[in-house]
Amino acid sequence: MKPRDRASVTAQRGEAHLGFRTYLWRRLVYALIVLFVIVTFNFAIFRLMPGDATKMIIDPAFEPEAILELRRQFGLDEHPLVQYWKYITSLLRFDLGLSFGSRRPVVDELMERLPNTIVLFLVSFVMTASAGVAVGVYAASRRGTFADNLVTGSGLFAHAVPVFWIQLLLLMLFGYYVPILPIRGTISAPPPDGFFLALLDRVHHLILPAGSLTIIGFGSWALYTRNTMLEALGQDYIVTARAKGVPRRDILYRHALRSVLPPIVTLIFMSLPGAVSGAVITETIFSWHGVGRYLLDAVLQQDYPAAQGAFYLIALAVIISNLLADMAYGLVDPRIRVGAGERR
Amino acid sequence: MKQRAAVASNQKTALARPGLSSFWAQYRRKPYGMVGLAMVIAYVLVAVFAPLLTPYDPQKDLYLADRLAAPAWAGAVMARFRGAPPTFKRNVGPGDWHVDEAKGGKLSSREVEGQRVAEIELTAASGDPEARLVLSHPLHYTYNPPQTFNARFEYSIDAPSDAVTQLQLEVVSPDGKRYNLWSSSVFGSSEKQEAKLDSRDLELKVRLGMTMFDDPATSIFSSRGDYQLVLTATSKAASGPSRIELGKLTFGVLGLLHGVLGADHMGGDLWAQLVYGARISLMIGLVAALISVAIGTSVGIISGYLGGAVDEFLMRLVDVLLAIPNLPILIILSAFLGKSVWNIVLLVAAFAWMGTARLVRSQTLSLRERVFVEAAKAAGASDAYIMITHILPNVLPLVFAAMVLRIPLAILMEASLSFLGLGDPRVATWGRMLHNARNFGAFTVLAWWWLVPPGLAITCLSLAFVFVGNTVNEILNPRYRERT
Repeated sequence: MKPRDRASVTAQRGEAHLGFRTYLWRRLVYALIVLFVIVTFNFAIFRLMPGDATKMIIDPAFEPEAILELRRQFGLDEHPLVQYWKYITSLLRFDLGLSFGSRRPVVDELMERLPNTIVLFLVSFVMTASAGVAVGVYAASRRGTFADNLVTGSGLFAHAVPVFWIQLLLLMLFGYYVPILPIRGTISAPPPDGFFLALLDRVHHLILPAGSLTIIGFGSWALYTRNTMLEALGQDYIVTARAKGVPRRDILYRHALRSVLPPIVTLIFMSLPGAVSGAVITETIFSWHGVGRYLLDAVLQQDYPAAQGAFYLIALAVIISNLLADMAYGLVDPRIRVGAGERR
Repeated sequence: MKQRAAVASNQKTALARPGLSSFWAQYRRKPYGMVGLAMVIAYVLVAVFAPLLTPYDPQKDLYLADRLAAPAWAGAVMARFRGAPPTFKRNVGPGDWHVDEAKGGKLSSREVEGQRVAEIELTAASGDPEARLVLSHPLHYTYNPPQTFNARFEYSIDAPSDAVTQLQLEVVSPDGKRYNLWSSSVFGSSEKQEAKLDSRDLELKVRLGMTMFDDPATSIFSSRGDYQLVLTATSKAASGPSRIELGKLTFGVLGLLHGVLGADHMGGDLWAQLVYGARISLMIGLVAALISVAIGTSVGIISGYLGGAVDEFLMRLVDVLLAIPNLPILIILSAFLGKSVWNIVLLVAAFAWMGTARLVRSQTLSLRERVFVEAAKAAGASDAYIMITHILPNVLPLVFAAMVLRIPLAILMEASLSFLGLGDPRVATWGRMLHNARNFGAFTVLAWWWLVPPGLAITCLSLAFVFVGNTVNEILNPRYRERT
C-alpha cells in the first residue's frame, strides 16, 4: 500500500482528526482484532482438515486404548470450545504443540529457524531500500535520460515479473552455469572452523537469496523515490534555491531529498508485511533453513501443528509490521501528529 | 418525476462514460495501450489455436523423447548436442523383412483384422527336425549414442503339441557384434502375446551380461553405420509344421533432441505445455479477476450507499482481510481444499477483492450525494434499484480498469501457488512447468529452454494487461490516474 492510499484510507475512516495517541490506540485495537481472527481461523481450519488431524500419527492398528490415550495427549477428546480456550491460552504461552513429523516442540523448531529468516529478511531489505532510494534519486536528477527511462521501465517490470522466476534464473546462472555460489542451504555442512570463516560461509550462502530479492525489489522503490523527488523538485522553494545559486548537489540532497524522506520511510515500513509473507518462496527456492520454508513443508507433509505454528508466527510478524507502518505513518502525517486535520 | 430522474441519470452516464467509438478513438492514440492490446490478442490467439500449434497433448503424451531432451535446434546451435539423436520409430511390417536364411522356413503375409501380419511357416525336413528362418531388417544409424531404445511386437504360435518353437531378436552392429535382446521358447501353441523390451530394463542388462549401472543403448549404438535387426525363428517339431503369426515390429530410440522446446522429466512436450499454458493462465486470470471485482463492487456499493453499521462492518472486514498475510493463507487453504484449478481461482479471488471494494466505496460516497440519486429517491425508488441502475453504471469505468489490472495479479498468484507444488496436477500451467523444472533436474543439465519460456510468458502477459489497464484508467478515470 502506498502512503497515498493509506492517506485516503485514513481520511475515509475519519481518523485524520483524532490526534496521534487516539489514532495509535485504534490501530492497536484493530491489530488485536486481526490477531484474534487469525487465531480463530488457525484453530478452525486445522480441525476441519480432511480426516482427523491425528490420523497421521495414529496407526489404525493401535489398540483402541492406545488411540484414546494419544487423543487424550493431543487434547482431542474434549469439547471443541474447551479445546479452543486451551488453544488460545497455550498460544499466549507460545506453546505450539508437538510436530507430527519430528515429535519435537514446534516452538523449538521455529526458534531454530527464526534467526535465519530474520537475517535474510533484514539484509535483503536494507539492500533493496538503499539501492532503490539511491537509484531513484539519481534518476530524478537526470530526468528524461536513458538512466531515468531504465528506472521507470524496471519499476514497471518488477510488478509484472514473477519473483521466483528471476530467482530460478539467477540460481541456474550462478549456481550451475558459473558455479561460484552455493546452490542451497544456509551454511555449508559441515561448517568451516573458526568464527571468521563460518561467518564468511554464511555470507556466501546469503548472496544469492538476498541479492535476488534486491534485484527484483529495488525497481519499485526507485520508481517511487523518483516520482516523489520530481514532485519535490517542482516546488517553489526549490526554484527559489536554484535562483539563489545554491549548488545542484545541495538542492538535490539537502532540500529535495530531506523533504521526501518521511514518505519513503513510511513506505519502508509499509512494505514489511509483503516481504514477510514473500519469504516462503525465496526460502523454498534456495532451501533456506527458515520459517517460510518450514510452513510450506509442513503444509505439504500435513504436519498440522507445525503448519499452524509457522502460520501463527508469520501472521504475528505481519501484524506487528503493519502496526509499525501505522505508527510511522502517524508520525509522518501532520494531520494525525498534531490532530488538526478536518473530517472529510 | 421518475422520468426526470431517468433523464438526469442518462445525462450523468453520458458524461462519465464516453461512447465506445470515442473511447476507441482515444485508446488507439496511446502507444502503450496498443502494444498491450496487441500482446493480449496474440496470447488469446495462441490459446485458441493451441491445437494447431502443436500436435501433442501437454498432459497425456508422455515418453515422446528421452527425459530432459533438448530442443531440436540445440543440435545445430550448441556443441554439446551436436549429432544427438532425435526420436525415431521404425515400423517393420511383413514386407520389410529380408530373408537371410531359410532352412525349411517360409515367409508370407496376410490380412488379419485389417492389419497385415507376417506368417512364418516352419516345416522340418526329414532327418533334421530343426527348421529355421532368419529375417533381417537394415537400420541405418547416424547419430551419437542414444540413452534408451525400445522394441515391441505381437506374436502367436500355432504348432503341434510336441513342438518347441523359439523366437529371438538380435541387433547386429556395423562391426558384426551380435546383441541378443530378447528370446522366448514356447512348447506347443501360444495365444497372442506381446514382446516388449526397453534398454532400461534390468532383465535386458542381465541378458547382455551387464550390471544395472551399465547402459545398453550407449554401448550397442556406440558407432554410426548400418545396424541390423535380426529375428530368428526356430522350430523343433516331430509332427507337422509350426506357424508363427508375427505382427508389426516397432523399434524406437527415444531422442535426446525433441521439438521446439525439448521434453520434460517424463518425456512430455514442453512446447505443448507452454502453448496450452496460455489457455489456463488466461482463463484463471480472467475468471479470478471477474469474481474478485464482482465481490469488490458489490461490497463497495453496498457499503458506500447504505453507510452506517453495514459500512462499518464491511470496512472492518476489509481491514482484517488485508492484514492477513496473503500467500501463507493461500498455501494453507489450497492444501485444505485440495488441488484443483477452480479452488485456486476461488481462493485467489477471495483474497483479492478488498482493494476494489475500497475504491468503489469511495466513489459511491460521492455519487450518492448527486442530484440524480436524490431525484430517484424522491420518486420512490428502492435502495436496491438505485444501487443497480444509478450507482453501478457510474462506477463501471472504474471497475473495468480495476478488473484489467487485477488479471496480472491473479495470474502471478496462481503461478506462485503452482510453483510451490500446490497447483492442479492434472493441468499444465506455467507455474507447474517451473515447479517441474526445479524439482526434476532442469538445473543439473542446464536446461534453460525449460526455465526461460514459462517465466517470460507470464511476464509478457502481465505486462500486457498492465499496459491495457493503465491506458483504460487514463481515459476513463483521469482523476484516479497513477502518476508516473
